Amino acid sequence: MCHRCLELTRRSLLVGGGAAAAALHTGVANARVRPAEMVPLVGPGYKPTERDEMGLWKEMDRAEEEIAGSNLLIEDPKLTGYLRDLIGTVGGPAAKDFRIYLARIPDFNAMMFPSGFAVVFSGLLLRMRNEAQLAGVIAHESGHFLRRHMIRSWRDQRRKTDLLAIGAMVAGVGGAGAGVYLGDYVQLAQLGTILSLFQYSRAMEAEADAMGARLLAETGYPPIEMANIWQQLIGEEEASARYRGKHRRKGSIFDTHPSEGSRMVDLRTDAAEITVAGKAYDDKRARYLSTIGAIRPMLLDDQVKLNDPGASQYLIETLAQDGWNGLLRFYEGEVWRLRNRPGDELRASQSYAAAVAYPDAPAEAFRWHGIALLKQGRRAEAKAAFARYLVMKPDAPDAAWVRQMAG
Amino acid sequence: MNSHRIIALLAAGASISACSSTGGDDYGISDYSLVRVQRVNVGDDTLAVSAPRPWNRHRPIFFEDIRQVEDWTLNGPLLDGMSFVTGLKDGKSLIRQRRTTSQQVPIFRSNMTPPEIAAMIESLYRVRGGAVDFRTLSLQPRPFLNTNGFQLDYEHLDGDELWRRGRVVGAVVNGRLYMILLDAAKAHYWDATLPDFEAVVASAQLRG
Repeated sequence: MCHRCLELTRRSLLVGGGAAAAALHTGVANARVRPAEMVPLVGPGYKPTERDEMGLWKEMDRAEEEIAGSNLLIEDPKLTGYLRDLIGTVGGPAAKDFRIYLARIPDFNAMMFPSGFAVVFSGLLLRMRNEAQLAGVIAHESGHFLRRHMIRSWRDQRRKTDLLAIGAMVAGVGGAGAGVYLGDYVQLAQLGTILSLFQYSRAMEAEADAMGARLLAETGYPPIEMANIWQQLIGEEEASARYRGKHRRKGSIFDTHPSEGSRMVDLRTDAAEITVAGKAYDDKRARYLSTIGAIRPMLLDDQVKLNDPGASQYLIETLAQDGWNGLLRFYEGEVWRLRNRPGDELRASQSYAAAVAYPDAPAEAFRWHGIALLKQGRRAEAKAAFARYLVMKPDAPDAAWVRQMAG
Repeated sequence: MNSHRIIALLAAGASISACSSTGGDDYGISDYSLVRVQRVNVGDDTLAVSAPRPWNRHRPIFFEDIRQVEDWTLNGPLLDGMSFVTGLKDGKSLIRQRRTTSQQVPIFRSNMTPPEIAAMIESLYRVRGGAVDFRTLSLQPRPFLNTNGFQLDYEHLDGDELWRRGRVVGAVVNGRLYMILLDAAKAHYWDATLPDFEAVVASAQLRG
């Protein structure tokens, strides 16, 4: 065993190991690529004809089969259908060929695989404020495929090193086949490692940004949302690092970003360039919220329980820019409660008290409100809160304990 | 603690692949020692239990461990594990962690109620165990160590696509947290080890 092995957490595997796979993040343009210049290099129904690319696709088919069968996927037909429709809208000429999978992993990540299937992490759905932002990420990923970045990058690397063969490169895929079953995370991480061999150059990232902005604008979404996503991501990383008293996360996606500021400028310039005056753009926020509304509590839960207070607080405040509600106030309280520094108990109790005043307050808000009141010695009020909790959730798993407290 | 088991799982996975080219499965020292069917002290030796059949005690796993935590397994850490937390103090967490780690297992406070302790355990699984789904099945009062304790039942889906089930019986005694925890693959191993766990819980006594 090695010390590093002990650091193999989900985050380090997927975000560290798979950093290059976090395609949206990697690379920064040196020179801006104009969206108008971004012509797709792939048409509908594209199939590889050259031997190396055919081999690569064959391996990727195996990888896709594994991912498609994983029980880490969220299979809700409403959500998967929604994602399919989105990539079918902003996917350019290959729109109808793409496949897209939603994995329940609370991280900001989306990746496009060389054979045209994409994996989106549930953490992305939490972070996007409207449909245009989600479409922007998907359009960016589609851009990598449409500009044939994976195969170009791989051929380029092979030319440089002459060491990598497809066989060696994908040997890690499908640990089960090799007799070592390490689970899906690890397999996903291996895929991440593979994707890192297709490390996108800064020029390619610039292309995907420009291509994505163009696809977004052509399909009626405001292209400025591409820049907003990037800004939110930077804000979250900074908030997380600041809270833990350090400069940004070591090994973070920013290690490869010497000039994120210039990317922001480029994204804003792209948006200005392709926005047509007088044309109506729609970020489709209402449709986005109604589609993900049912799983938003789960998405918030998955994030907040990671006890990364800087990031969680930033995310909640970002979402609250569209209006505070009971759900967001409740999870704000959860951030404080889990942080558990001096004074946080009081902060949490105030958030719970605020949450239960909203009509959409989740049942759990009443339970935690009750516990907070109990600790303050306000028994009668606590009892009322517990009673409300049990009315809202009569078969709550902790009903026996709550009844004892309320009794 | 149980996250050790999961970390051990990952570490074992990594070392299997690292060693496979050199065939090095038989080098190094054993990670386990036998727990005999007799009264034994666990953790920091403030708790004594007896198991109905022999189990295996994990060697502490480097820096992740704290003195108040001890891990056992019957069929290997992938399949089942029993952990003991013996007198965790206010302000401490179940595992060692760096101050600058972004995602942290919440610290224990002496005034925590069972739902707060349950939430702490859930975050441990999510933060350090890589659980993507965690469902609380029940939380109920249960006497433990001659005091008012609690029993938490839960199940979780881990990154290796396996559903596992767990039970914690615990209590706060003189401001310190005592818990015994069983975590096992839902298929077969949970049922196979639950009677052992219950016997161990029933045998648990504070020392001194």
